[in-house]
Amino acid sequence: MLRATLISAFALIALSSSPVAFAQSDCKSIVKPSPWGPNDQTGATNRVTPAVTKAAAAEIQTGKVTNMSYPLVDGVPLFGSRFTKTILTATSLAPGASFGENQLTYMEDTWLSQSHVGTHLDGMGHIGIKDCYYNQTPMGKFINQNNMTKLGLENLKSFATRGVIIDMVKVFQDAGKLKSNSACKKPCIDKGTVITPADLQAGLKMYNVTLREADMVFIHTGWGDLFEQFPAQNALYNSGEPGLGKDAAAWLASQKVVAVGTDTWAVEVIPSEDPKQAFPVHALLLTDNGIHIIENVRTDLIAAEAASSKRATFFVNMTVPKAVGLTGNFVAVDAIQ
Amino acid sequence: MTGPARGIAWLSRARLVRGAIVVMVAPWMVTAAGAAAPERRYTIAFANLTEAPGVSLEGTGFSGADVRQSFVLAARTLPVELVFYDNQGDDARAIANAEAAIARKVDLYIQYHRGGTANTAVAQKLKAAGIPVLAVNEPVPGAPLYSLDNAVAGRIAGDALAQFAGRTWAGQPTVAVVIGRVSTSAERVQGVAEALRKRFPAVPVSMLETQGNTAQVAALLGPVLAAQPPRKVLIAATDDATALAAKSAVESAGRARDAAIVGHGVDRSIHGGANDRKELDPNNRASIVLGSVAFYLDRMGYQVLPLAMRMLRGETVPARMVTPHKLITPANVFAEYPPYDMN
Repeated sequence: MLRATLISAFALIALSSSPVAFAQSDCKSIVKPSPWGPNDQTGATNRVTPAVTKAAAAEIQTGKVTNMSYPLVDGVPLFGSRFTKTILTATSLAPGASFGENQLTYMEDTWLSQSHVGTHLDGMGHIGIKDCYYNQTPMGKFINQNNMTKLGLENLKSFATRGVIIDMVKVFQDAGKLKSNSACKKPCIDKGTVITPADLQAGLKMYNVTLREADMVFIHTGWGDLFEQFPAQNALYNSGEPGLGKDAAAWLASQKVVAVGTDTWAVEVIPSEDPKQAFPVHALLLTDNGIHIIENVRTDLIAAEAASSKRATFFVNMTVPKAVGLTGNFVAVDAIQ
Repeated sequence: MTGPARGIAWLSRARLVRGAIVVMVAPWMVTAAGAAAPERRYTIAFANLTEAPGVSLEGTGFSGADVRQSFVLAARTLPVELVFYDNQGDDARAIANAEAAIARKVDLYIQYHRGGTANTAVAQKLKAAGIPVLAVNEPVPGAPLYSLDNAVAGRIAGDALAQFAGRTWAGQPTVAVVIGRVSTSAERVQGVAEALRKRFPAVPVSMLETQGNTAQVAALLGPVLAAQPPRKVLIAATDDATALAAKSAVESAGRARDAAIVGHGVDRSIHGGANDRKELDPNNRASIVLGSVAFYLDRMGYQVLPLAMRMLRGETVPARMVTPHKLITPANVFAEYPPYDMN
């Protein structure tokens, strides 16, 4: 009886530990390895070295700070079942509920929300191909009911680097090819418009900027004007967007940038160039190259600032919570010049 | 990003060396490409069947606007300027549109119009002007034709129903119905019937004509569902709206366990985004709507414009090319129509 039980137990262990039981993909044939080694969970912020931060600090000349975030509030564009809701706890404001002779009171919030709402950063665990994520990580092994046990935001390094704004609206205006959407109150590039490497290079040339390794690149498309009109234009905002084509994303990856942010909800062109590909730029930047994506960035103010000051570069002031095991999170971004 | 490009093994040292060579050579290639003469841009005219709002095309749920948009999207990656015309389902308009395109000196004309006399006149005028023609869904004399293959689509639907019945209801009394725009979808209906009779020669196949009015579906299916003794019911709907109406009728009759449905079209009424939870959804694999046969009218531009480019570059294209119809089910709908409601 004991022997039979032991045999059964060994059989169960053998079955449960077999590759078939996990149904894992061969991630080494699906996703590129990290240039920072097989144990890397950080991605492109590895590029933000002390030297990079020191050089970026030289961008601070006037001290002027420009906001690059949208307010996080009920009613902003979200998809389907996504929501963000705050609940204020203010019980100590009730009569007699203050603390001590000095009558101290306090308040705090409960914040219920998906992490990928508003101005937010996509982390390394956000996008994969099959079950394969950044650095050939077979993610099926590293998730539980609550979070990831690998590639979480806690692994990221600093974003204290140089930012570059590319005013794609101006590029398209100058090229005589701007087709704005009538719902935009300010000029915008219409949804479905593909941004090419030549467009990016024209935008950089406009302000005599050459990309450096570890830069963060922000692209102003004007589509964020619809976000600003929330909730009136939420459906249109979500229905598509102008954005990077695959070639443009590959070119940015070749420039070894740290992150790419836009005033759109996905950074890449929607509908995609190939209707049978799902978010190919996400996979190219995040999964294959460890380059972060920042969505719903408010770019109009810094684009206007660049137009008036003729400076399209700045020091990026952005931090990401050490949220263990999260795939992304809200961020606040400032440009300091 | 997928398929062969992603099939590269990244660890092999030899392959890494080859990758390095590619990286070193790539800047030269870009420079060389930049120095080369830019590819000629062509002006292509597309004369649509009709762009009237609410008018569905080819007995499906797609509209002329869907077809037009597919050309707009497909042109983004091609050296093409598009000129759009609306034939408005009218012969005189179709001929006038061709004349306007000739005056505009377009490089190629894509004609989508139902009307043999007008198409002949259009062909003659464009030929005289030296402008090649590509016909869509309806023949134009002397022009290669890209079209739906209704017979094949119908057979795919019939096969799907037959396979389900063979797998699930083997030996049980079964009937089949084709419901929808039966009289104007003859090839599609014939295809369904052929496939069903091939597998189940004894199963009766009834035709129920709705003339496109989905409000008729429940009334027409009612007697079939109420017949005694009860039998299993295979339902081929000629379009997606009819398929969804049939599902509703079956459920209302309490016969959901005894019916299977396949539609035609795969328009947005039956599939959608990750949050839409439409009928064809990976989370709805137990649906009695087994699937729908894709007609890809919302992707026609992606099929037709590359053919037009081949013609303009002097390549020979076949005289007849057809839509690659395919059964779309909850299991493959997100692969075929990736949702993009995610950020």
